[in-house]
Amino acid sequence: MSGESAAVVGSASGDRLAVLARRALSFFLDWMVWGYVAYCVMYLLNHYWYTVHVDWWGTLTLPSWGWPLVVLATLELAVWCRSLGRSLGQRAIGVAFQDAAGGRITVGRRLGRILLWHISVPLFAVGFWRGWDPWHDRVVGVGLRPISPDPERPGRRALATQWGMVALFLGALTLWVGWLIIGINFQVLARRAAQTRRIWGEMLRPDFRYFTAPDPVFSLRALSYSILDLAVVTVFMALMATILGAVIAFPLSFLGARNVMGFSPPGWAAYGIVRGFFNVFRSIETIIWGSIFAVWVGYGTTLAGILALTVHTVAALGKLYSEQVEGVSPGPLEAVWAAGGSRVQVVRHAVIPQVLPSFWAFTLYRWDINVRMSTVIALVGGGGIGDMLFYYKNQGDWPKVGAVVIVIVAIVWAMDYISGRLRERIA
Amino acid sequence: MGYPEGYLSERPAWTTGAGIQDALARRAIAARRYLGVFLLDAGALAILWILVSYVYAWYVLGTTAYTLVPWWAFAVGVVEAAAVWGSFGLSLGQRLLGRALGPTQGQEASSGARVRYFLLWHVLVLPGVGFLFDPPLHERVTGLGLRPRGTEGVAPAPWYRTSAGLFVAALLVVTCAAAVGVTVSWSALVRLFRQAGETVDFWRALVSPDTSILLDAGRDMIVTVFMAVLSTLFAVVVAVPLSFFAARNLMRGPLGRSVYTVLRGAMSIIRSIEPIIWAIIFLVWVTALRSAFAGILALWVHSIADLVKLYAERLEAIDQGPIEAITSSGAGRLSVLRYAIIPQIVNPYISFTLYRWDINIRMATVVGLVGGGGIGQRLINYIWGVQYRQAGTVMILIVILVWAIDYLSARLRAKLA
Amino acid sequence: MVWQPMANPYLVVEHLTKVYERGQVLALRDLSFAVEKGEFLVVIGLSGSGKSTLLRCINRLIEPTSGKIWLDGVDVTRLSQARMRRVRRRIGMIFQQFNLVDRSTAIGNVLTGRLGYLPGWRALLGWFPKEDREKALANLERVGLRDKAYVRVDQLSGGQRQRVGIARALMQDPEVLLADEPVSALDPATSHSIMQYLEQMNRHDGATVIASLHFLSLARRYGTRIIALKDGQLVFDGPPNAIDNAKFKEIYGEDAEEVEVR
Ligand SMILES: Nc1ncnc2c1ncn2[C@@H]1O[C@H](COP(=O)(O)OP(=O)(O)O)[C@@H](O)[C@H]1O
Ligand SMILES: [Mg+2]
Repeated sequence: MSGESAAVVGSASGDRLAVLARRALSFFLDWMVWGYVAYCVMYLLNHYWYTVHVDWWGTLTLPSWGWPLVVLATLELAVWCRSLGRSLGQRAIGVAFQDAAGGRITVGRRLGRILLWHISVPLFAVGFWRGWDPWHDRVVGVGLRPISPDPERPGRRALATQWGMVALFLGALTLWVGWLIIGINFQVLARRAAQTRRIWGEMLRPDFRYFTAPDPVFSLRALSYSILDLAVVTVFMALMATILGAVIAFPLSFLGARNVMGFSPPGWAAYGIVRGFFNVFRSIETIIWGSIFAVWVGYGTTLAGILALTVHTVAALGKLYSEQVEGVSPGPLEAVWAAGGSRVQVVRHAVIPQVLPSFWAFTLYRWDINVRMSTVIALVGGGGIGDMLFYYKNQGDWPKVGAVVIVIVAIVWAMDYISGRLRERIA
Repeated sequence: MGYPEGYLSERPAWTTGAGIQDALARRAIAARRYLGVFLLDAGALAILWILVSYVYAWYVLGTTAYTLVPWWAFAVGVVEAAAVWGSFGLSLGQRLLGRALGPTQGQEASSGARVRYFLLWHVLVLPGVGFLFDPPLHERVTGLGLRPRGTEGVAPAPWYRTSAGLFVAALLVVTCAAAVGVTVSWSALVRLFRQAGETVDFWRALVSPDTSILLDAGRDMIVTVFMAVLSTLFAVVVAVPLSFFAARNLMRGPLGRSVYTVLRGAMSIIRSIEPIIWAIIFLVWVTALRSAFAGILALWVHSIADLVKLYAERLEAIDQGPIEAITSSGAGRLSVLRYAIIPQIVNPYISFTLYRWDINIRMATVVGLVGGGGIGQRLINYIWGVQYRQAGTVMILIVILVWAIDYLSARLRAKLA
Repeated sequence: MVWQPMANPYLVVEHLTKVYERGQVLALRDLSFAVEKGEFLVVIGLSGSGKSTLLRCINRLIEPTSGKIWLDGVDVTRLSQARMRRVRRRIGMIFQQFNLVDRSTAIGNVLTGRLGYLPGWRALLGWFPKEDREKALANLERVGLRDKAYVRVDQLSGGQRQRVGIARALMQDPEVLLADEPVSALDPATSHSIMQYLEQMNRHDGATVIASLHFLSLARRYGTRIIALKDGQLVFDGPPNAIDNAKFKEIYGEDAEEVEVR
């Protein structure tokens, strides 16, 4: 039977590795599904049963035999699910157990597979793998194969399948546990609605007295500012950061493009470093960068905000730019090569003309994001109009908060519109 | 343009409703052409003036000022400058709209004609009198009008030889001067180099993270992930139905159009207020300094606005063919929705939702900074508590989390496409 | 062109005019003709001559500006939307771009042909009666696609998709079949097979077919009668063999460059 199933699939060792990987991955997914369920169950037990919360791991404390038990139980559940039908992990990877001869797999054979699994897996060393499938599958006569839907028969409704039901169950569980973890409590909202309505009412009657005249109450480093002053500062912060970021990202993006750098070991190294830099620095949000630079160059200075915006801009733009460079069509490159151009000339005359339009588009897009971020970077000490917003909010001066919010919306809208129009022109 | 002669009626065109509409439309088109050029020119000149004043005041007077002259002088100056530029040169607005002041009857635009045009401009164009006629009166009188500019076959002049090019260059220089002046302070620059040591502890965490906080941080990461998941989920529930009312092609008629406009406008306003600001508002609402609930509400509101926009834009791009086909088989409106529209949008909707979930993970960390709960809150507590090594450790965790979710969401989206 | 009354007209188009508001295009000008039951009427004309507009006016996917359309003694231009739906389900339609829902399966698309017969709530839940499902499979069988019933249509070839479109129209048991350039997106061999299905519906199921076609050869081969449009006007109405070279020149030749003008 193993010979048959081997014949079905083919015999290249690469294929065999793929089969193994699919099996391992789908098994891991199934195991994780039940591990997640176990976590949720423990959380719920703790929430409804013990009522004293000390620490989160304290809430999950199990007797010493508890952890192995959880591990074994989740494994067991995964195996049952995988054997008795099409599990969520198998669905995700796109595989299912199939009879080598194409027949139906009866429940008896499925149960047999579960039984044999318990013999085969602990005795992992003993002839577990021969041919394509592990011993317990070979005996039962099934194999884990990629499947495609039958064109002549309707597929089953998702909710009538095992994986569909498990997915629904996971969704419901997530909702339940998430509700508790986050502490969703709509009563609070309702109870506070009256006060909040007052605040909203004050915000919707904005106080624009200090739009152009400096507000004596609000001062930064002994200077008073008007809303307009700080709005201008905010836009300039975004502008500086975008220009600086684009100027730095432009050369770096060529270092981060495989088709430019991938010709020598040092090239590969530079590529790896630059791309790694892009990826790491991109996944730390601008605001978090802001908090670092506020510590570095001084709380509340615009330079801190600009640096934070710039760092994130360099990383984000660099990634977008270098993906564009990697996507250039090779024809013009070959033409310049053929004409005897050097690598620099290829970049200058074949790559840059191709990527420049999309570079502009990305830069303008980034300009949008930077305007948005610069309105709030003050929160962590980055300067700009946010300083005013948070100051008035802390004072409880809601009419002025309303005015500042309106100005922020206006800035974001206006810049959004301008960059949108410019992008249209470029495209 | 218009109906073929004598088809719909034998009456002269201006006695019919359509004829009058046509005549009005032609005048409106002409007026709009001039208005566009003028607004672009005047706007650009106003911006230049403001920036120049701002830079002058900043560097020379040491204050902030925007016009340096009374507002009416500013307005008159801008309008006059725009008129001069539009009459005697190829202005920025003319360039952008692809027009030029040229002769209407074929003769050259002499400088005399240009002077006459400039003078008449104040009488006929600025008050709009000229547009009561078709073609506009000033075009008839001066023989000059805004003609489409033929640029084929002529090598474009280099930017430093054109007034618009020089103008834009000046604008850029002044903008940069203003930006540098306003945003960069010397003392901060000095600190950038002197105080680099302050951040050493951050980077030390890269080589020796503080493992003792891992369990606590892990818990906060779980909260962050749940915040992102639930806020996305709740946002989808609201955004999906709303998106149908925010799609231009589905909202026809006066009532539909106004619903569309109001909805899109509201979503656009909500979207332009960052989640952080929303979090602050909701924190005030639930009266707490720290609350993951407020954080999730902030993410929820912002996600709704973002998703409605994404969804509605997708709806506006659907293929009309199936709608036509299913209507032609005698199906009702709901059936058309169910069988022609929804199948087309399910996968894109899921894909947008995953994308938004990815963003919400990042946003959830940020919302935490103001007290929205989760890992971000732990981070900011460490930073403000000068525990930089712990903060660095948390940042490493955030990077890993964001990467993982990013990868997962990208993989799932690739599968859907 | 003067319209001669027919003995027993089934579909009558009277002084039909359509002006597109946007761009003020005069797509159909005072068009009149009649069709007898069981005819295979072919509409020819250059692109932009108003063929699609005419077909869509008949089942009122487009509202005519003026004129009347009598179908089986009923003036469809005056029907309310609800009553128009009841008429529409007797009129099948086939499209140049197939107009299938790409993400649905073939049978899913075919079943939508029954929507006009299904109560609204059942349609919403997707509960098609068992007979409808069997009928859908039978119709797919008829167009030779039984083995692709559960394949998503974006995996089918052009000819196969058009056959799905035909099966969808068959689900309506149509008395009239409108086909808007059904073969323009297909290669010649496939075109003939599609046209043969239309011919079959015309001959065996007794459906009155109104098809717009691009190629005169196809029109001559399948049509029992041909009408020609030019700039929205009727310039020819007669049997296929009556189109000689001169007529052909008149329909297609003279001002080919003018027609593209909007
Ligand atoms: N939705 C529309 N709006 C404005 N004009 C249209 C529209 N649809 C078609 N037209 C115009 O109506 C005329 C007839 O079009 P159509 O019926 O599609 O011709 P055919 O199908 O013969 O190619 C063309 O001039 C076309 O440009
Ligand atoms: Mg057509």
